[in-house]
Amino acid sequence: MAKSGYQNRIELMQGTLDMLILKTLQWGEQHGYGISQAIRAGSGEVLQVETGSLYPALHRLERQEWVSAEWKKSESNQRAKFYKITALGKKQLAADYERWGRMVATIEGIMGAEGGEA
Amino acid sequence: MKIFGGFFGRKAELNEEIEAHLRMATEDRIERGASRRDARREAMREFGNVPLIADVTRERWGWLLMENLWQDIRYALRQLGRTPGFTLTVVLTLALGIGANAAIFTLVNAVLLKNLPVADPKALVRFGDVSDCCVYSGANQDGNYSLFSTDTYEQLRKNNPEFEELAAMQAGFEPRPVIVRRESGREVARAMAGEFVSGNYFRMFGLQPAVGRLLSDSDNVAGAPVVAVMSYETWKTKYNGDPAVVGSTFWVNAKAVTIVGIAPQGFFGDRQSSGPPNFYLPIQSMVVIEGADYVRDPDQLWLDIMGRVKPGTNLQALQQKVSTQVQQLMAQGKIFSSAHDRPLLAKVQVVLAPGGAGIQSLAETYQSKLVLLMWISGLVLLIACANIANLLLVRGMGRKAEISVRTALGARRGRVVRQLLTESIVLAVMGGIAALAVAYAGTRMLLLMAFPGAESLPIHASPSSEVIGFAFGLSLLTGVLFGVAPAWITAKAEPADALRSGSRTTAGGVSLLQRGLVVVQAALSLVLLVCAGLFAQSLSKLQHATMKLDATNRYIVHIDTQTRLTSMTQAEALYRTIEERFHAIPGVVKVGIATYTPMEDNNNGWGIDIEGRPDAKGQASNIKANAEYFDSVGTRILMGRGITAQDTSSAVAVVNESFVKKFFKPGESPIGHRFGVPGMETSSSAYEIVGVAEETSYTKVQWNYRHPMYFLPLEQRTTGAAIPFEKDFMMYAGSVVLETSRPMDDMETLARKTLAGIDPNYTVVKFQSFADQIADRFTQERMLARLTILFGGLALLLATIGLYGVTAYTVARRTSEIGIRMALGAKRGSVVAMVMRGAVMQALAGLTIGVPVALLCVRLVKTQLYDITKVDGGLLAASIATLAVAACVAGMLPAQRAASVDPAQTLRSE
Repeated sequence: MAKSGYQNRIELMQGTLDMLILKTLQWGEQHGYGISQAIRAGSGEVLQVETGSLYPALHRLERQEWVSAEWKKSESNQRAKFYKITALGKKQLAADYERWGRMVATIEGIMGAEGGEA
Repeated sequence: MKIFGGFFGRKAELNEEIEAHLRMATEDRIERGASRRDARREAMREFGNVPLIADVTRERWGWLLMENLWQDIRYALRQLGRTPGFTLTVVLTLALGIGANAAIFTLVNAVLLKNLPVADPKALVRFGDVSDCCVYSGANQDGNYSLFSTDTYEQLRKNNPEFEELAAMQAGFEPRPVIVRRESGREVARAMAGEFVSGNYFRMFGLQPAVGRLLSDSDNVAGAPVVAVMSYETWKTKYNGDPAVVGSTFWVNAKAVTIVGIAPQGFFGDRQSSGPPNFYLPIQSMVVIEGADYVRDPDQLWLDIMGRVKPGTNLQALQQKVSTQVQQLMAQGKIFSSAHDRPLLAKVQVVLAPGGAGIQSLAETYQSKLVLLMWISGLVLLIACANIANLLLVRGMGRKAEISVRTALGARRGRVVRQLLTESIVLAVMGGIAALAVAYAGTRMLLLMAFPGAESLPIHASPSSEVIGFAFGLSLLTGVLFGVAPAWITAKAEPADALRSGSRTTAGGVSLLQRGLVVVQAALSLVLLVCAGLFAQSLSKLQHATMKLDATNRYIVHIDTQTRLTSMTQAEALYRTIEERFHAIPGVVKVGIATYTPMEDNNNGWGIDIEGRPDAKGQASNIKANAEYFDSVGTRILMGRGITAQDTSSAVAVVNESFVKKFFKPGESPIGHRFGVPGMETSSSAYEIVGVAEETSYTKVQWNYRHPMYFLPLEQRTTGAAIPFEKDFMMYAGSVVLETSRPMDDMETLARKTLAGIDPNYTVVKFQSFADQIADRFTQERMLARLTILFGGLALLLATIGLYGVTAYTVARRTSEIGIRMALGAKRGSVVAMVMRGAVMQALAGLTIGVPVALLCVRLVKTQLYDITKVDGGLLAASIATLAVAACVAGMLPAQRAASVDPAQTLRSE
């Protein structure tokens, strides 16, 4: 069961992780662990965010000033680093989402085209 | 500091962030029912490789590179600290190899390469490409002139508009100090360097005064008030930068001179010299100050000429033009007037040489020696590099296992190579710093050796930026070159292979490359040892050449006579007073007075005519001396008589053996023959030979037995002299030679007191024991011999370390093999022999290459040697023996270690 669960997971495409993180943060500030849990839950356990990708991505976003970070107490009264989307980040998210939409439509245009036999 | 604060702060913060993540993941799992231990483990597993993720995350901030570098350096220092023997050896090797080269380079740079500190030195042109000294009048066989008369200079200046400025300067100011005393104040008179230069001298160099003004053309006019410019260094060091110096009066050779200005800082004259001018005086004032009539004589050549050409001048055409002019001027003079010399006139020419570095008299003296030293120090550096290469190779191989483990644990190859590279660079930087210290000390030592007693040398020991760049560049190159290769080889190895094969290896431990390096080292050090031996032999031959001088209990007091005399008629009285006063000192046996003494840098040569022998012509050197002179320097009279106190009016001369050999037939007695000196006397029968003195060395040992000399009584006045008595500068005695009955350490003080007793302003120009004066003549040879011995020793030491390193490494690698051999019955003796054989074979291979190379090298250094043309067997044998002993020492220590291997222990560890 665990094995098939693993197989059902989808590797994230390059660049989409940033978008997912920013989307997650739109609902409110969150720490790294929270973000990974939110993405996993939001995808119905399909998308597994590797910490090895998550933290470098968070720190890159912070450096680009798309998110800001602050140390706060978590709901379980733990000290954690909370990330918050910035105005710049929101603009970036909109741009990313638009590009994503175009790409999906383009790919769909190819994949869904009627033509030759399978 | 802020960078590091942010850097360390962020690192801690990230660790905390990750820890928070892990805690939350663990809590979640516990809530879902897992045990705390399992929860934590599961959270860790899910998170992945914590340090790696932290590293990758931190890289987003661009910190990791610096962090890695810092880590690498710390790690490198720790690694180096763990093997202090290795580190010390490498750093010392680098320091000695590079420091020696940097020191030699400092000297080469200053003496051979550096331009004068003047405006646009490239536009300067020098007349003549050899340095002649000092006052000369003769027909050159090759016609190549670099000394000129005042008249020639003035004509050249007038007729060559191609020069923006054409300046002239006294060629021989170094051996002719002036006696200077400041008018105000109670300072004693002292001997200083004064150079006589043309009025446009400073203008030609494009210089501005530091204070006051520099010389001008109106200063250089006969009868003008005598003025002088003081050098900046003299002003600062001797007169504490006193502003009152400018405009004040100084007594120079007892003549009043006004100091009109201070030359710019750093200007040391027109040539590199161990005693740069303290004063610059106009040429025309030389008549007043030195009483030198040759300034006005068109046949006396005494000036160097330098000019600044206008841009775009064709030097080839100019050289032709100038040569023709000089030839025409000389045709009018007396130099080529004799039928014998007339044909030589057509050969007269002047070479226009680059003048940016000034009159390169020092460069000409030292060039061949410095080039030789550069070669030798270069060879030492080569040996040092071979050593470093070997040591780093051995170390690299020795760390194979460690590196394999690190690779197996996931270290990237690039990271490992970078780590090893960092180690090499750290080593190289340490070596470079140590090399600078060695270079500084080495240069100071070199300067002391090359210019002993020089007071204000314009060459400084503190390394210039070129030298610092040279030292660090070289050490980095060595370190990186020989550090990367083993690093690369090691990192390329498959970790599994290296780990599997463990420590079990046999003879294949040392590569051919390493053995080759050791063989080359041995060969080179043999060559250097032979060189060192040759120079030592040469020096010893020079010093023990039969000078036939007796230096025991003898002292030379250089005096100034000229400024003491207002008229030449006072000379005799002064000399008698000097004789009496010095004889009054208890312990003084003989008091000789002469124009100059044996083995000093002075010579006074004249053309000779023998009466009734029109064919016997040639040069001979003249000395005027008092009655006790021959005894005072220990010269024996072989025939006839010496000079007596009564020789005041009769024209007599004593000649030396070479004089007899040159001008008389074998077996013919010269006593009673007469000769003349055309430049000095009008008659060719002026002097009667009354005695023959044993030939002793004057000026330099290389002149032995081909240096005709004649000695004239100091107070002898002859009729028919070509030079008026008042102008006869040969009447001026230059030295007093004292022979004492016992060594007298306070002789200098006594001499000063005695002279001051004659006149409070009378001073010693220079005081030396006779032995020191003789030793001074071998300064360069001694420097060469000492340095080659030093470098030879260094080379031997480095080669020994190299051989030891490789042998010790072999033994370390073969410990288990040796253990097994011994367990199987090998004797300790045979183990020692086995190890020694390896070391000796390499030394032998080095000898096989080194001996023929050394024999060939003698040809290259032959010109620097005195009376040596080939390597003698003894020297070669001694060099080989030295190398053999070194090889045995290098082999013996590891061999002992091999023999003490405990077979039982080796077997157990297998």
